[in-house]
Amino acid sequence: MNSIAFKSFAGLRQSSPEAPPLAAHPSRLARRRGLRVVAGKFSPKLQGRSLRVAVVGGGPAGGCAAETLAKGGVETFLIERKMDNCKPCGGAIPLCMVGEFDLPLDIIDRRVTKMKMISPSNVAVDIGRTLKPHEYIGMVRREVLDSYLRDRAKQNGANVINGLFLKMDVPQDANSPYVLHYSSYDGKTGGVGEKRTLEVDAVIGADGANSRVAKSIDAGDYDYAIAFQERIKIPDDKMVYYENLAEMYVGDDVSPDFYGWVFPKCDHVAVGTGTVTHKGDIKKFQLATRKRAEDKIQGGKIIRVEAHPIPEHPRPRRLSGRVALVGDAAGYVTKCSGEGIYFAAKSGMMCAEAIVEGSENGKRMVEEGDLRKYLEKWDKTYLPTYRVLDVLQKVFYRSNPAREAFVEMCADEYVQKMTFDSYLYKTVVPGNPLEDLKLAINTVGSLMRANAIRKEMKKLNV
Amino acid sequence: MQLRSMSTTMASFSPPSHLSATTPSPHSKPRLNKNGLLFSFRPRNLAFSPLKAAAESGAGTAVEPPLVEDSSLGTNGAAAVAAQTGQVKVVGGFLDPRWVGGTWDLTQFKKNGTTDWDAVIDAEARRRKWLEDNPESSSNENPVVFDTSIIPWWAWMKRFHLPEAELLNGRAAMIGFFMAYFVDSLTGVGLVDQMGNFFCKTLLFVAVAGVLLIRKNEDLDNLKKLFDETTLYDKQWQATWQDENSSTIKKE
Repeated sequence: MNSIAFKSFAGLRQSSPEAPPLAAHPSRLARRRGLRVVAGKFSPKLQGRSLRVAVVGGGPAGGCAAETLAKGGVETFLIERKMDNCKPCGGAIPLCMVGEFDLPLDIIDRRVTKMKMISPSNVAVDIGRTLKPHEYIGMVRREVLDSYLRDRAKQNGANVINGLFLKMDVPQDANSPYVLHYSSYDGKTGGVGEKRTLEVDAVIGADGANSRVAKSIDAGDYDYAIAFQERIKIPDDKMVYYENLAEMYVGDDVSPDFYGWVFPKCDHVAVGTGTVTHKGDIKKFQLATRKRAEDKIQGGKIIRVEAHPIPEHPRPRRLSGRVALVGDAAGYVTKCSGEGIYFAAKSGMMCAEAIVEGSENGKRMVEEGDLRKYLEKWDKTYLPTYRVLDVLQKVFYRSNPAREAFVEMCADEYVQKMTFDSYLYKTVVPGNPLEDLKLAINTVGSLMRANAIRKEMKKLNV
Repeated sequence: MQLRSMSTTMASFSPPSHLSATTPSPHSKPRLNKNGLLFSFRPRNLAFSPLKAAAESGAGTAVEPPLVEDSSLGTNGAAAVAAQTGQVKVVGGFLDPRWVGGTWDLTQFKKNGTTDWDAVIDAEARRRKWLEDNPESSSNENPVVFDTSIIPWWAWMKRFHLPEAELLNGRAAMIGFFMAYFVDSLTGVGLVDQMGNFFCKTLLFVAVAGVLLIRKNEDLDNLKKLFDETTLYDKQWQATWQDENSSTIKKE
């Protein structure tokens, strides 16, 4: 096993060139220092035109990417197959997204300020006591958010094309264009679209979990979870309880490796669950989730059933030539919470920024190195967050005792403060070391107690 | 299959003559230990009601169930329902007289004037087991507020840590004695001199670590899986960088 694989990202980049004793990966040791081109200064200046970039997929990632590109002076084409797509989604956005992306407040249907975590033995813990009055988790309708971002991109100069991306011809050299083949649906409802082609210099793949762009660049596959959700319209008096409260149910009955949820939406609740390892039992888990929430959603009518895949980790290859993946297509969904909207939008923005910078506002051709910068920046900024959430998932979603300990820990104020601070502002806050030590001890204590009780439980059913 | 195994277990146990199912009587201790096993998981296959009725009739008359030992059943079940034989409406969910207001009423666990923490642990284990098999809806009117940290640390120590510690120390002592003897017989180096030797100290360290980490046969595989798990996510993230260097070399 090559030990370099275990070095942190920063370590890999700075590894000095050694005589390659490792026959397996000699290429990795050769430094790119000599090849590292700075900001396209050696790329040819484009004659008489701006850089052309196609953004495939018009969700949050695509919309933000297209807007940033258009603002940066790049000729942008945003290809989206369904303009009114009502995507199945949890719909939660953190507070920082509103500020960072200048979202209007009326996009947010609800502000969740309280959350309830419910353990397998129904111990219910309220979290949110540490939130300040201006802090909340925003619940949005995807169709509203997505179309707002697309319209804003259009206003900034992007060309929005209603079409379905089919395939892409990869050029052989560094200056030839990529040729995208797509079916245009302009003005047509239903029926087969007209086949068209588009020549661009770079492509951003923002077309989601089943990305075709990813397929065209052989990005590889990822493990994914299935999220299954039912939208239930519950009676008004019951809806009051969910006014600004979301619930999370954990337990083996609800999901073996994820959680079940009740999220309030504009005028109904979404009850759902997800799993990676037991996809075939998803309906069973959904029934269990509904049963656990039974008292609170009784009398409700199911108005919609939906399911969607959630990537569990990034694709092996997120970049190839002048094609980069962002958002769900790249696999930027966190573990533990399954949050994807913010990261999709942010990665779209970051990738677009890297292109704008590398092309000097659309005047020069870009090359792979410029897009690599986006990956560098992304990994440097968010890898700690992803890592922490991965550890949390591994430790606390393992088994019922672990989940009981999880819920017990969430009752602690310090935990709540750290959790919300890192969720709402997307930074891993270092925190107070003494409190961290206390937290570590309490965590170990909770886990041990829960596992001890589990040992007793096992004895009860020989 | 659970029914069958439960039946065999029950058949092999001879319960004390008259176990009151409901009241936290002086029988509570013996009831909770061995015969805690006997309480009803079986209702899942049989009708709820007859067993519950049998439970709180307290007279030990098994109404319907085929097994004779059933009189001891049902510290779980509708213990709180007034005594009546025959069909009892299933109130639903976990019911136990000591489970009051969403937590365990510690005053009902008194033994000789002090709280019987072992009984509390047993009761909570049974509640969780019940809920695992029969998940219930969480309700706002009857929230569960029990926190395991109210049970003092020494109760946990005495019950869980000490027996296992005894076991592991015993294993370590046995291994240590025989390793010392073995090394001495092979090399002639006595115990005191062995302690000064680096290789022997390494062996000692390996022996202690082995005793601590590998307690069952499955632990070997579990440890390997655990190690792979901790590094997997990182590898998935670094995958795109491995690609970078190889592709740049190709371009050259």
